[in-house]
Amino acid sequence: MKRFIAIVWVTVRQTLSPKRAIGLMLLSGSSAGIYLLYMIGTRGTSGRNVETAFETSIGMTVGVFMNIIVPVVTLIIASSVLGDERRDNTMSFLVLRPIRRYTIAVAKISAAFLEAFLLTGIGAAAFGILVGIAIGTFSYFVPLLVGTAITTAAYAALFVPLGYLLKRATLIGLTYVFIWENGIAAAVPALASLSPWRIGVSAMAGLAPDDFFNLVPADFALGSLTPGAGGALAKALVLIALAAAFMAAVLRRRDLAT
Amino acid sequence: MNDNPALVADPTVEVTGVSKWFGQKVAVSDVTCSFGPGLTGLLGPNGAGKTTLLRMLTGLILPSQGEVLVKGALPRAEVDRFRDLGFVPEESALYNTLTARQYVAYAATLTGLDQPEEAADIALETVELTGDANRQIGGFSKGMRQRTKVAAALVHNPEILVLDEPLNGTDPVQRAHLIKLFGKLAARGHTLIVSSHVLQEVERMTDRVIAIVDGKLAAAGDIGAIRRAMSDIPYRVLIECDKDRQFAAALLNSEAVYSVTVDDSRLRLETSDLLGLGSLVAGLARELDVRIVRFAPEDESLESVFRYLVGGR
Repeated sequence: MKRFIAIVWVTVRQTLSPKRAIGLMLLSGSSAGIYLLYMIGTRGTSGRNVETAFETSIGMTVGVFMNIIVPVVTLIIASSVLGDERRDNTMSFLVLRPIRRYTIAVAKISAAFLEAFLLTGIGAAAFGILVGIAIGTFSYFVPLLVGTAITTAAYAALFVPLGYLLKRATLIGLTYVFIWENGIAAAVPALASLSPWRIGVSAMAGLAPDDFFNLVPADFALGSLTPGAGGALAKALVLIALAAAFMAAVLRRRDLAT
Repeated sequence: MNDNPALVADPTVEVTGVSKWFGQKVAVSDVTCSFGPGLTGLLGPNGAGKTTLLRMLTGLILPSQGEVLVKGALPRAEVDRFRDLGFVPEESALYNTLTARQYVAYAATLTGLDQPEEAADIALETVELTGDANRQIGGFSKGMRQRTKVAAALVHNPEILVLDEPLNGTDPVQRAHLIKLFGKLAARGHTLIVSSHVLQEVERMTDRVIAIVDGKLAAAGDIGAIRRAMSDIPYRVLIECDKDRQFAAALLNSEAVYSVTVDDSRLRLETSDLLGLGSLVAGLARELDVRIVRFAPEDESLESVFRYLVGGR
């Protein structure tokens, strides 16, 4: 356990520089920022009431925050946790140690999740607070945080191996997010279960009051997924286990330097 | 007892018919050698395949063909085997946001030591970095970075140490200190495999070398023995004497002497028979009443041997 914690700690220190943290924090908080502008812009006008404020918040949750901001923030963090070790030639330091490869993989995915959720969680909390103020209830706050956590975890599992295996991981990750997730998987509901942010939204839909489920554009945001936090968590955990097993196999079988 | 100078009697690391290719490029080709307790220098020009071979010894990369055994097992067979190994890579391999103490303690923690901070302090003291232990590695000079890597490789007192250009960037004082440290570890029975392009330093560290040229084993064993085995390359000898021209003419009459050049009382000659030349020079000097001031083989140094090995291919 000491070794696991040590890997997580050093990974967080190494990959979350103050500059990067500030930049990603701003990105993560942009939903809250936009929503705040919406609140200021519509204050005291007839165009704003609880219903429209709620509809807007749901539109931003599934149309901006969960499907763009969370994956992009997680991509930038997760692709660097092992990718930077390879680029900085520190892989030999890490792997020539008496530690199970699976432990290294799980520690790296955990570090990616912790770092990314620190940022996406703050963004989600700020956004959730503003939505709560606008609609007069905080019943969506916890579902939003849980959905964000599950989405972040699932993307971390996907992007850690991607960052290690590909030199242009960020570019390929962005292509995946925009083309596959928001294009192809949006058009084919059956592919939704392979879409991490939709898994997160399904957790949110399972925890939130019914009006969320009624307002959310189900075809786009849920596809064939059934709302439910337990199922979403299970899917995220399966993704993490598969990604860790895959990374462990890569660390066992492939050359770890060129 | 084997006669192959590339093999040792009590190996801890065995390399058998190992080749490694990256796409079309062959980096190491059919190398067989072994390493045992003590220090072995691994020599070769840039791009010869030294780093690739060292990485295969550690298990960092896998051979395309052949086998590497560390204490009788494949390096990646069980992760616990990495307890026996310390590796100093040629490239940076440092976490710049950590202090030297944190970095070495991290190495100790990952190796499973109970008191990583205490072990780190001892290792940093060994490489004389105690005063800078709490400084961030990002601000270190190249020499300090090298010593930090050495400390991290030593922290768990491994039986086998693989060091790829460990003296790079170190100043003469640090270099002398590290060479002494490596010598001590070798004398204690650790297996040290040190690659370096600074031949004089290798010569100071060890007599046993393995030379790799173009990915192939070019020579192995004692430096003098390697030179003597190169019977097709004449020895170069410097003689300082009086009556230089007369003495040069007399030497040229001998079949063992291929050529002589005279330059300001210095004779530079080439011979196929170094031992025979000694007797010949002594006899002729007596006969001609020549006073010999200096008689020195010019190319029995590691550098000369290495030049021949590389130039001959």
